[in-house]
Amino acid sequence: MKKIADRCLVGFAWLSAGMVTLAAVMLVGFLLRRGLASIDGSLFFGETHWLDAVSGRAPVFEGIWPALMGTLYLVLVSSFVSIPVGIASGVYLAEYASKRVRASLGCAVDLLAGTPSIVMGLFGFALILLLRRTLFPQAGTSLALAALCIALLVLPYVIRTTQTALQAIPVHLRILGPVCGLSGLQAIVHILLPVASRGILSGVILAMGRAAEDTAVILLTGVVAQAGMPRGLWERFEALPFRIYYLAAEHQTRRQLDQGFATSLVLLLLTSTLFLTAFMLQRRFEKRWKKW
Amino acid sequence: MPFGRPCGLRLRSKLERCIERILLIATAIAAVAIISILLLLAYFCLPLFTSGELGEVFSRRWQPFAGSYGILPMCAGSFAISLLALFLAFPGAVAICFFVHSLAPAPAAGLLKTLVHFMTGIPTVIYGFVSVFLLVPLMRDWLSAGTGFTLLTAAITLSLLILPTIVLVFQARLERIDPTLTLASAALGFTPIEQVRHVLIPASAQGLLVAAILGFGRAIGDTLISLMLAGNAAQFPVSLFVSIRTLTAHIALVLATDSQSMAYRSVFAAGLVLFLLMGMINLLIQRIGRADNEKTYEKDR
Amino acid sequence: MEKVVTNPAIVVEELCVEFSGKTVLENVSLTILPAELHVIIGPSGSGKSTLLRAINRLNEFFPNCRTSGLVRIRLDGHLVDIYARDAPPLPELRRRVAMVFQTPAVLPFSIEKNMTMPLKVTLGLRGGELRERMEWALRQVGLWDEVEARLLDEATTLSGGQQQRLCLARALALGPQVLLVDEPTASLDFRATETIEQLLVDLKDRYTIIAVSHSLSQARRLADRLWVLREGRVMQQMNRRQLQDAALFQEIIDNIF
Ligand SMILES: Nc1ncnc2c1ncn2[C@@H]1O[C@H](COP(=O)(O)OP(=O)(O)OP(=O)(O)O)[C@@H](O)[C@H]1O
Ligand SMILES: [Mg+2]
Repeated sequence: MKKIADRCLVGFAWLSAGMVTLAAVMLVGFLLRRGLASIDGSLFFGETHWLDAVSGRAPVFEGIWPALMGTLYLVLVSSFVSIPVGIASGVYLAEYASKRVRASLGCAVDLLAGTPSIVMGLFGFALILLLRRTLFPQAGTSLALAALCIALLVLPYVIRTTQTALQAIPVHLRILGPVCGLSGLQAIVHILLPVASRGILSGVILAMGRAAEDTAVILLTGVVAQAGMPRGLWERFEALPFRIYYLAAEHQTRRQLDQGFATSLVLLLLTSTLFLTAFMLQRRFEKRWKKW
Repeated sequence: MPFGRPCGLRLRSKLERCIERILLIATAIAAVAIISILLLLAYFCLPLFTSGELGEVFSRRWQPFAGSYGILPMCAGSFAISLLALFLAFPGAVAICFFVHSLAPAPAAGLLKTLVHFMTGIPTVIYGFVSVFLLVPLMRDWLSAGTGFTLLTAAITLSLLILPTIVLVFQARLERIDPTLTLASAALGFTPIEQVRHVLIPASAQGLLVAAILGFGRAIGDTLISLMLAGNAAQFPVSLFVSIRTLTAHIALVLATDSQSMAYRSVFAAGLVLFLLMGMINLLIQRIGRADNEKTYEKDR
Repeated sequence: MEKVVTNPAIVVEELCVEFSGKTVLENVSLTILPAELHVIIGPSGSGKSTLLRAINRLNEFFPNCRTSGLVRIRLDGHLVDIYARDAPPLPELRRRVAMVFQTPAVLPFSIEKNMTMPLKVTLGLRGGELRERMEWALRQVGLWDEVEARLLDEATTLSGGQQQRLCLARALALGPQVLLVDEPTASLDFRATETIEQLLVDLKDRYTIIAVSHSLSQARRLADRLWVLREGRVMQQMNRRQLQDAALFQEIIDNIF
C-alpha cells in the first residue's frame, strides 16, 4: 500500500517536472515558430533606412525601434535612481543600522517589495492628479514619472541583494579592515564593497530586468502606442512590453501579429539574458564563500 | 592632549558621519515611498468616506452607465483567479522542489533549476501574449468555452507565472533545513522518496505555507495575465468558464478610458484594497518567519 | 636582579575579557618593555590570541565581548589608556599597534593590492614611494623574490606560509610601533622560520614585539621575557636568565602544561 503511494508521488514529481518543461518549451517554441521569420531590419526600422532611424534623422513608423529605445531609456533612467539609492540603503542596513532600525526599515523594504506593480502605477497616476490640483496644473504622465515609479518598484531588489551580499562576508575578512588600520567607511569602500561586488551586481541586473519587463506601471504612467522616439523626460514614450500588450488586442493585419511575436522574442532575449546573468553571478558569489 | 592626532583624522570622521547620514536618508526613501503610497491612495479614497459612497463602491454591481460602481465582483474575481492558480501551481511546484532536491538524477535537476530561473525571467506580458494565441483558441475550440477568455484560461497561465516563485521560495527553505536531516535520514536507510515523505515534508511544513502565501500574493498582484486573458467582464466567478475581472485589471481598464469621477474613486478603492491585502500578506509572512526563527533558536540551545 | 622598570612600552593591568559571559582572560597584568622580545606561551584555548587582540581593541569586533581593566600603550612618549573615552581613534590605534593573525588572512585581491591598498588609503602614499615601501616590506619577510614576478596574482593562490609572511609584510609596511604576532611560524618550513625568527630579533630594537608561540624551543630561543598563560591567567613570568637554565625551564613547563 505504502509502496504504491510512494510510487504515485515519484510519478507525480516526474510528471510535474515534465509538464513545466513542456510548457516552457511550448511557449518558447511557439514564439520561435511564429516570430523568428519576422526578425529582420524591417521589424526594427519599418521602411526607414536604419542609419536615418538610428541617427534620428527620419521617424520610424512601422518598426519597434522607438519602443526598444523607450524601454532602454526607461531602464537607464530608473537605474539612475534605483541603483545608487538601493546600494546606499543596502550598505546602511548591513553595516550601520542598529538592530531595531534594521528591523523597521527592513519592514518598509519588504512592504515596498510586496506592492503590486499596478498599485505602483496608480501611485504615479495619483501623484500627477495631485500635482495638477495643486502646484502644476499642466503636469502629465511622462517618461520621468514612469521611471520614478519603476525605480521604486525595483528598489527592494537592489537593497536586499546588496544587504545580503555584505552580510554574507565572513568575519575573518571583515576584521581585516580594522587590522589594516582602515576606518569603518574606508573598510566598506575598499574591502567590503569590492568583495560583495558580484552579489550586488546580480541584484542590479535583476532590477534592470524587472524594469525592462514591467508593463502595469507604465500602463498608467505615460506609455502610449505611437510616440515615436523618446524625445525627453517630460514626454510620453513607447516601450516593448506595452507594444506587445497592444498588439495582442489591436493587431489589424497578419503582418502586425507576426511583428508581435517577433517583438516578444526580442524582449524575451533581452530579459532572459539579464536574468540568467544575474543568476550565474549569484551562484558564483555563493560558491566563493563555500570554499572558505 | 596625550596623543598627537593628525588633523586629517578629525576631518575624516566628520566626513564619515556625514556619509552615514546620507546613507540613512537613502534608506529612508523606501520608507517614505511606502508611506506616501498609502497616504495618497487614502487621500483619493477620502471622498468615499465623507460622502457616504462607501457602500456604493463596495456593492455587488458594476454598471457605470447605470450608476452602479460596485467593485465586489472584482474582489471576488481576484480571489478566485489567485486561488485557482495557486491550486494548479502549488502541487506541481512542491513536487518539482522535491524532484530537484532528492529524486532527480543530477543533470536533470540542474537543468530544471536553470529552467525555473529562466522562467522567472520571462516577462509577464509574454505569458499573456502567447496564451492569447495558443491557449485561448484551445479553450474555445476544445471546451467550447465561449470566446475562450475565461477564468480558467487566465488561471492556467497565471499558475505558470507563479510556479517559479513558489519553487524558488520553497527551494531556499529546503536548502536551509537540509544538511543534518538528510544525512540522518540517509543513515536510517530511507530511500529518497521516503526521505521526502517522512523527513523533508514535516520539516518544511512552515516553508510550504510561506511559499503558498507568497505565490498567492504574486497572483493577486499580477495585472497583465488577467487583463489579457480573463475577459474583463465585471461579474462574479460563478463557474470556471465565465469571463471575470480582477481588481488589478479593473484599475488598468478604468484608467485607460477616461471616465467620471465616481469610477475613478472605485479605482483608488481597488488600489487601497490591494495595498492593504499585500500588507497583510507581508505581516503574515513575517509572523511565520519569526515563529520559525524562534524555533530554530530553541533547537540550537 | 630584575631590571627596574622605568619606561614601559605597554602596561596591562587587571585585564578581564569575557565572551558571552564566559571568562576568557582573568586579571592579567603585564609590563612590556621596549627593545625586548616578549613571548607568550600556553596551552590551546588559554587566551593567548585574546590577549593580543585586547592590546589593539580587536576583541570589540566580536559582538558579545566584554573587556574591563586597563591597557596603556606608549604612543609619542606618553602612556595612553587605549580604552579611555579620549583614546586615539581606533583606526589610528590599530595602525600603530599592528597584528598578524594565527591563520593567515589575506584580502581576496591581488598580492600587490594586499600590500598597497592599506598604504594608499591610510597613509596616502602614491607612486614610487608606494612601490618602494611595498618592496622593502616584502624583502624584510623574505617574500620579495618569490612574488616579484607574480604581484598581480590573487593573494589566495599563495601557499599558507607565503600568505602568513604577506600578512606580516602588510603589517610592517604600515610602520607600526607595536607588533603583535600570533604564531608567525606556524605554517612555515625551517628556512622560512629562520628568516622570520631572525627578522623578529632584528626588529625588536625598533618595535615593541609581542609574539605568541606554540614551540617551546622557539620561545626559549627568542624570548627576552616569557609569560606562560593558562586558563586565562598568567601562571609564570620568566626572564632571559631563567630561560637559559634548561632544567628550571623544563620543570616550570611540566608544572603548567
Ligand atoms: N569570538 C569569540 N567568541 C566566543 N568565544 C571566543 C571567541 N574568541 C575566543 N573565544 C574563546 O576564548 C578562549 C580563548 O581563545 P584564544 O583564541 O584566545 O585561545 P588561544 O590561547 O589563542 O588558543 P590557540 O593556541 O589554540 O590559538 C577559547 O575558549 C575560545 O573558545
Ligand atoms: Mg590563538
